[in-house]
Amino acid sequence: MAVLFSVYYSLYLIKLFHKGENSAVKSKTDEELIALINQKHRPALEELYDRYVKLVYSFSFKLTKGDREKTKEIVQQVFLRLWTTTRIYNPLQGKFANWILTITRNIAIDIIRKEQKQPGMVQLELNEWWQMEDQETEDVPQQVSRNLLKQQIQEAKQHLSEPQQRLINLLYWEGYSLSEIAKMEQKPLGTIKSRLHQTLKILRNYFSKEIGGVPHGK
Amino acid sequence: MENKCENLSLYIIGELSVDEMAQFEQHLITCKHCRKEVNSLKETWQMLSYDVEEMDVPESLKAEVMDFIFQENSTESVQAKGTENKGSSLAQAKTAENVATLQVQEGELKKRSYLDGLKAFLGRQFSPLSTGITAVLLLGLIGLFWINLHLKENIVVLENKASSQTQIVRTFDLKGVNLAASASGSAYLLEEGRDTVLVIDLSKLPSTKDEEVYQVWLLKNGNRQSAGTLKPDPNGNGIITSRLPKDLSFDDIGITLEPTPNNTQPQGQKVLGTS
Repeated sequence: MAVLFSVYYSLYLIKLFHKGENSAVKSKTDEELIALINQKHRPALEELYDRYVKLVYSFSFKLTKGDREKTKEIVQQVFLRLWTTTRIYNPLQGKFANWILTITRNIAIDIIRKEQKQPGMVQLELNEWWQMEDQETEDVPQQVSRNLLKQQIQEAKQHLSEPQQRLINLLYWEGYSLSEIAKMEQKPLGTIKSRLHQTLKILRNYFSKEIGGVPHGK
Repeated sequence: MENKCENLSLYIIGELSVDEMAQFEQHLITCKHCRKEVNSLKETWQMLSYDVEEMDVPESLKAEVMDFIFQENSTESVQAKGTENKGSSLAQAKTAENVATLQVQEGELKKRSYLDGLKAFLGRQFSPLSTGITAVLLLGLIGLFWINLHLKENIVVLENKASSQTQIVRTFDLKGVNLAASASGSAYLLEEGRDTVLVIDLSKLPSTKDEEVYQVWLLKNGNRQSAGTLKPDPNGNGIITSRLPKDLSFDDIGITLEPTPNNTQPQGQKVLGTS
């Protein structure tokens, strides 16, 4: 009887302890969660999932042009990457959302491309890191700023010419390389390169005009 | 100089090789113009990701993702499959130069994956506290199991003793005399392991009055020792069992009708005996 009781009591304690662990991750920053994930702390990964899955899912959904199966595959690979990464996330290197979206885009392009022509591909985190100081004001709730940014980008896109819009679509959303695009457009690579430069500059000008958030250098 | 500045947009979209990237970063140190542009253009490139309709995530997705991560072998995640095809896809161009680094990483990963997998699994399942509690419970369980084994052994020993070694070593016929001439009976001397038990079965005993009892005496060289008392039932039957001390031997049995119980020497008349 005493044994049964002690077994029951310890199970209760274990349950209580785990519950405590799970609620503890809610108050952690993204950076702290990544550090915990590096130590293979599952509740931290689940918390990060809860925070970012909508963003990753929506982004992947657009990249796959609405293919739910591929979107699922991408989401799985993204969080698997987070689980196995040995990187320590450093907020000085950029916003976490940007980081996770860069990973998502690389994985998505890999998956989409693999289907198109089976290239053996390697994705590395090295290129997913931007050595960029984060200029965002942290006070703006993420959701609000995201919607605002979406509005900004859609307005800025209006100012792009037809070829410039096509370039962004092929390059950013479909993941073609500049030389592939040059072939498709039957233009020299140099032309496409300068078109890209022009396009980015136009977009930057409209972003900075409307939100003043993107600085022109220093 | 001009040539290097052309690479600015390629650098921003991550389409430079590792070598080219290193070169461009060197260039950044010396080129004021590129340095001025690089951060804001990078941020612009990243902002393209916000051009997305928000979707509702299926409820079931979380379980699928977690199952995928925690049930698949974690090394599968690193999608390293050597780049033979020198095609020109974006990601390939971006990362082909990193293959060497990755392969080293992958080798290490494979080596550690089994151990790490196990560690990670245990780490997930057991916090330090629950590990302690589990250990205590396991020890308790082992202890109980051990005690149980011993108890079983003891019971087996006792059962063997009880079942195999009981046997009758001697029987006596008892005949009535005097008052109880019609009475008769038998006595059996039993050995149970190391114990000796005397069982006496009597019948047709005259009934007793008041405090009167029949008392059994064991006789050895004229000495008498009491071996218990009994009162017969209304039909005159009675049975008495007494456990005898070790090393006690006797030649004859005598039974007397005693006026009071618990006498150390017979006071009443002899009513039954072996001779």
